[in-house]
Amino acid sequence: MNLQTKAQNTWCPGCFNFVILTAVQEVISELIEEKKLAQKDVAIVTGIGCHGKMFDYLNLNGFYGLHGRVIPTAIGIKLGNPKLTVIGFGGDGDTFAEGISHFLHACNMNPDIVMIVHDNQVFALTTGQMTPTTEKDYKGPSLPSGKKTEPINPIALAMSAGASFVARSSAVDKKHLKRTIKEAINHKGFSFVDVLQPCITFHNSASYLSKHIYDLKKKGHNPKNFNKAFQKALEWNYSLDEKLHIPVGVFYKERRKTLEEDFSLPKKPWYLLKRKNNYKRLFSFLG
Amino acid sequence: MKKTILIGGKAGQGIAMTSALLGKIFANAGLYVFNYRDYPSLIRGGHNFNVLSVSDSPVFSFEKDYDIIVALDQNTIEKHKKYLKKKGFILGSKKLKSRKLVSLDLEKIISEMKLPPVFGNNILVGYLTHHFGLPLSFVSGVIKKEFAKKSELIEKTIKIGYNLEHFQEEKFDVKNKAKYFFSGSEAVALGAVAAGIDIYFAYPMTPATPVLHYLARNQEKFNILAVQLENEIAVINAALGASFAGARTMVGTSGGGFALMAEACSLQGMSEVPLVAYLAQRTGPSTGVPTYTTQGDLKFALNIGHGEFPRVVVAPGDAREAFLKTQESFYLSQKYRILSIILGDKHVGESHFSFEKIGEPKIKMKDFLLKNPSLNYKSYKITKDGVSPRTVPGLGPVVRASGYEHDEWGITTEDQEKISQMTEKRLKKEEFIKREVSKLEPVKVYGKGKNLIVSWGSTKGAILDSLNQLKNFRFLQVLYLEPFPSKQVEREIKKAKKVVLVENNATGLLGKVIRENTGIFIEKKILKYNGRPFYPSEIIKKLK
Repeated sequence: MNLQTKAQNTWCPGCFNFVILTAVQEVISELIEEKKLAQKDVAIVTGIGCHGKMFDYLNLNGFYGLHGRVIPTAIGIKLGNPKLTVIGFGGDGDTFAEGISHFLHACNMNPDIVMIVHDNQVFALTTGQMTPTTEKDYKGPSLPSGKKTEPINPIALAMSAGASFVARSSAVDKKHLKRTIKEAINHKGFSFVDVLQPCITFHNSASYLSKHIYDLKKKGHNPKNFNKAFQKALEWNYSLDEKLHIPVGVFYKERRKTLEEDFSLPKKPWYLLKRKNNYKRLFSFLG
Repeated sequence: MKKTILIGGKAGQGIAMTSALLGKIFANAGLYVFNYRDYPSLIRGGHNFNVLSVSDSPVFSFEKDYDIIVALDQNTIEKHKKYLKKKGFILGSKKLKSRKLVSLDLEKIISEMKLPPVFGNNILVGYLTHHFGLPLSFVSGVIKKEFAKKSELIEKTIKIGYNLEHFQEEKFDVKNKAKYFFSGSEAVALGAVAAGIDIYFAYPMTPATPVLHYLARNQEKFNILAVQLENEIAVINAALGASFAGARTMVGTSGGGFALMAEACSLQGMSEVPLVAYLAQRTGPSTGVPTYTTQGDLKFALNIGHGEFPRVVVAPGDAREAFLKTQESFYLSQKYRILSIILGDKHVGESHFSFEKIGEPKIKMKDFLLKNPSLNYKSYKITKDGVSPRTVPGLGPVVRASGYEHDEWGITTEDQEKISQMTEKRLKKEEFIKREVSKLEPVKVYGKGKNLIVSWGSTKGAILDSLNQLKNFRFLQVLYLEPFPSKQVEREIKKAKKVVLVENNATGLLGKVIRENTGIFIEKKILKYNGRPFYPSEIIKKLK
């Protein structure tokens, strides 16, 4: 299964986006081989930022949308044809700055889409400004004296907003990343994966991440226990604090009614509905 | 005979409902009716009123000159009695005070029947039905259709009012066929249904909200979805996503919400994913006066979205045109993969209009989709007319939509030649859209006078109703604002002796658009910008 395109790749050499890209390609290929997915029935949505180039490098149906608007675009695609498996890719600036309201409402509405956030804790394509997940005191070109506020915690945020699948993985552990993305695709409901990603040019957290990450699964974490999961969510604060450990894996997971299940959607995709235009009937509503 | 009836009271007293019900009964009896709604932005209390113009010949507006004031509170009398005609009267409860009052003991009747006070309105409706000599049979049909659940009680209370003692009667001739009677909002909603809408996305905003309510209420009946999302930005991006996936979509909002949609309108231009937007203008700028009318967003609609891309802007002048032009908007957006903007306003949206017939649009709706696309399908193929054949995900080939500049496959490009090619491809559509729109009555001319009134949108009603007293004037209504029918407009203006622009705004926006497109400057303007629509008498006075 060829998920590559002929587009020339323009990420920095050694960029961790390559890891995320190949992880996604491999997961989708495996799901296609397992006959759980057909290539034609996958649609991706990307925002704007370095992550957005995923659009060009994945040979899949896709919508290269606006900065911050990946989630509503993906929800629209899902409502437009519920048969499609819809995967959104966003950056941390994209999802947690420009698009934070959509993120919270999606956690609440539970559309059956996957949202993968390339969380490199920095605006990279615009040359290194802080984002909501950048650690305190980070010095960027837009605030040379250093960031004044603590980073937001997207895992805790998603859980408190009611997300039905909340996971964290990283681009420094491809095996774990693949496993997490696969589980997210297989989950029915809004599946959020925060992918910690070093930016080798503006925010190189590679060694910090490698050193501090540990797998929740290996510690026997039960993703059905909301309270325990929330405690785990607060364990790391998106800083570079040497004393802290970073749990990765599925924090929380529940099967809840999805947005599409809340609506009475037709069995066939809309474009296959045969609508007969009966003017006489319509006029009767105007009488 | 023509009668003007004002119905007023506090918000929550059922004024709009009562007025619409009375209007429907008149229309059912074959009379022409226009129903204007005036309400402040509050939920309970304050002062609301409706004005019904009822006539045995066509009527599309109202005068501030009332034959009857139906008062549900004393405030209505105080506010409007100076506009009551000499021979007019006030109808209402015994509790009210006015020497012109025809009083009915509503409270006694209603309390004896143990009904809530709002049923008193039905007694007034019954009284007026009798007053104008309409047989009760015209009431039953309307009640059964409108109020399936409480129809018996409503009919019963109307009958009580009908059989009360009457001090005088003014009989309408009721031999004519029943008229259609509906609002611009209902027309936009049903026009969308006629065009095969699948999903309507919106966030509540006056005066576009009635379309959301109508489609939400009837979504099962029409097998469609009405979806309210967290804000207008989510609304339009979701609508583009759903359209990309193969659903026919529309969004609806007013100026402030449309401003939030601006970036995604531009995304429409680049991605060429079809979309229809209903923009119901209200008085601006900013929050402005939310429940009142102004034609202030013409330039906004024509220019929304950064960058250069083709679009359609069409402004219906009444509810019938709203029904037909909404269908044309869908057709053009699907066929040319463009943004169609239906530019309405509070006055067209929330007024009820009556028509003898509605008719069908000149276009035949199709889905314009490749059902068996080849695996080499190119999402942005360069073609003669600039329209790349469209298909949807799920049929085989990879389908792409992009807000980035792209090549024919939809892959991002920054190549200078490709940028020019794709820009030209998108803009090439304009010429073909213009050709098609020229067949869809982009302008209409009424009357035969040598002088010319030029206008657009909701001023149509008051202008039409003033024409019979302005025999030396014709009226040029511009329906399509983009692509602009320059030739037709220029021809009409050049033929005319004197030209007057009539607009419900402060700066004469259509005049500026005409100058931009034809070079013609219209000096004489009649402008009104107090949130209220024109009365025909105002236009007549200024032109005589």
